[in-house]
Amino acid sequence: MKLFKTLCIASALMVSASGGAMAQAISLNGGEDVDMVLLPKFLGILVFDQANEGAQEAHAELNNPGELLFVGPTPENSVAGQIEIMTTSATQGQGAVMLSNNAGDQIVPSAKAAQAAGTKIVTWDSPIPSGEGEDVFVAQVDFGSIGEVMADMALSILGGEGQMAILSATPDAANQNAWIASLKEVLAADAKYSGIELVDTVYGDDQSEVSYNRALALVDKYPDLGLIMSPTTVGIQASSKAMQDEGLCDQVKVSGLGLPSEMLSYTLNGCAPEFALWDFRDLGYLTYYTAYGMATGQLSGEIGETFTAGRMGDYTIEEDPGRPGSKRILMGPFTVYTSENVEAAAN
Amino acid sequence: MGHLFSRISPQTLRILALVFVLAAIIFFFSTQVPNYLNGRLFNRISSSVAIMALIATGQTLVILTRNIDLSIGSIVGFTAFATGSLISANPDMAAPLLVLYAMVVGAAFGAVNGILVAYVKIPAIIVTLATMALFRSALVEFSNAKSITSSELPLWLVNFPNTVLLKFGQFQLRAGFAAALVVVLLVHFALARFRPARRFYAVGSNPEAAEMAGINAKATVFAAFVFAGALAGLAGFMFLARFGNITVVAGLGFELKSVAAAVLGGVNIFGGSGTVIGAFIGAILVDLIDTSLVRWELVSEFSREAVLGALILVSVTADAVLMRRLIGLRANREKKLARAAINAQNRSPEVSTPKQAGETST
Repeated sequence: MKLFKTLCIASALMVSASGGAMAQAISLNGGEDVDMVLLPKFLGILVFDQANEGAQEAHAELNNPGELLFVGPTPENSVAGQIEIMTTSATQGQGAVMLSNNAGDQIVPSAKAAQAAGTKIVTWDSPIPSGEGEDVFVAQVDFGSIGEVMADMALSILGGEGQMAILSATPDAANQNAWIASLKEVLAADAKYSGIELVDTVYGDDQSEVSYNRALALVDKYPDLGLIMSPTTVGIQASSKAMQDEGLCDQVKVSGLGLPSEMLSYTLNGCAPEFALWDFRDLGYLTYYTAYGMATGQLSGEIGETFTAGRMGDYTIEEDPGRPGSKRILMGPFTVYTSENVEAAAN
Repeated sequence: MGHLFSRISPQTLRILALVFVLAAIIFFFSTQVPNYLNGRLFNRISSSVAIMALIATGQTLVILTRNIDLSIGSIVGFTAFATGSLISANPDMAAPLLVLYAMVVGAAFGAVNGILVAYVKIPAIIVTLATMALFRSALVEFSNAKSITSSELPLWLVNFPNTVLLKFGQFQLRAGFAAALVVVLLVHFALARFRPARRFYAVGSNPEAAEMAGINAKATVFAAFVFAGALAGLAGFMFLARFGNITVVAGLGFELKSVAAAVLGGVNIFGGSGTVIGAFIGAILVDLIDTSLVRWELVSEFSREAVLGALILVSVTADAVLMRRLIGLRANREKKLARAAINAQNRSPEVSTPKQAGETST
């Protein structure tokens, strides 16, 4: 066993050493003309708008004379709308589509058609589950580490022992499902989490009212529930409000992934003592650099390729551990917010 | 018993049948879900149904006139957001003004539907299917990808829906529910007793006849959409107060829920008959089933929608069968009474004939 571990470390060192020696970071040339599309799950959600700000920043920095379009479906039409925009982008001859996928594998045929027409498909935030029709996925954080961060927050909030339920977005959201799977794995793997009992997973559809009602139903269903873990910005907020409205904050805490500006009051009053997130502006920025490099042919998209993404530094394309055979670029890291740092981040 | 039975109007009979179905569903879930029957359940359902009750009331007005409003969820979403941004920009604004603003914005959207349906003569299902998307896109534009959060709202607004007015043990009568109940009752009695409001029924049961009788059918349909819009606006205000966090998906899917509530509540989808109280009980039914299913161990997340659909179908069927039974029973009884009357007539023709003549002449 020890030998195996040593071997692993040695080979890992070799890989990283050879990677470093072989490829210096490619620095992308600006000024090339390429039209690109940034396609969020749907319009009107703050985090996607922040991603757009980041992409626009990179667009200006790289002096791309082409157009960067921020288009998305309306909320009630997310899946069909994404497929339609993907199809249209291919016929328009867009250089790249940057997709936060909300359509599961249903997007694959249109994404493949777009690739055949010469359009690069770079996913961000939420990948294509099978990896088909996708050139590379820009991952905000390591999906495995999301499980770890959530498990650790649960551990500290519950004080080592108690019941926890998950309130997710939609049952089709690839990122949500991957994170929940990772959380379950982490909980099962380490003995320090053995006191935490995961009792249920419900879906709030990323709508305030559905999430709010689901949170209350969870409390009614499990009288001993200690924590609602919601890995979605809408769900965590609605659950916190529901617990506050019904005076349940002493009994049931809320945690998960949330925006500091939206969670400020709940963190300060103790309803949601800890939550986490990454920077969506950075995610949009990095995604743009990746897509630009690939659409202009400066990046080949091979595993091991390293490039410089402006102010954010160097990134390497690697195999996605969660989706064998697919490629990803890992952004990272997480920020965990508590009453100590939430105020500064909210403003 | 029979005497009382024949004096109850079919509308009341329908409401009684609905109450019976409601009780049956509560009984069923109380055998399935632990800790089910208590004040907490009442508080949950009453607070959450307050919003849908208003929307179902508006939807009922439109359906009565043989139309449908599929844009009502988008109107709720837009007014919730618009009202939220107004109050966060002017935190000192008076409450009645804010409510008025929400209703006027909603009524304006309703007027767009009303003009297109009543005066341009485009079928309501087409018009409101289009405006559902249009109003939602208007919200996406208007919101500029921002969302409203409860921290931007004044305390009175956030506290309003959960303020406890009366308390019996665990049972709480909260302000949000009380307000919705008052509106529902007002509209119900207006429809039942107020002469101009009877036009909705007249136009819905027979537009040509209504027109002949001197009723302006176009204006009536237009008014139905405007009132529905105003009620949706009010619901938007309540939505804002209750949830505080408003994104562009606010009110998504409410149009179908409100149609389900109205139809469950015995509002005839072909217009002309139904009551607001019925739609209100329908809204309670939908909410109750939805909430209870989440707590029911037997139903997984993925089959819940299907079970909800099936239960709605069963409720409507049970209600329809029950109604037919009751009406049949009554018709039989009336037939018997009529036969008895005819028999009596045959026995003493000289007494009853002049009386009959007198009846027809008045």
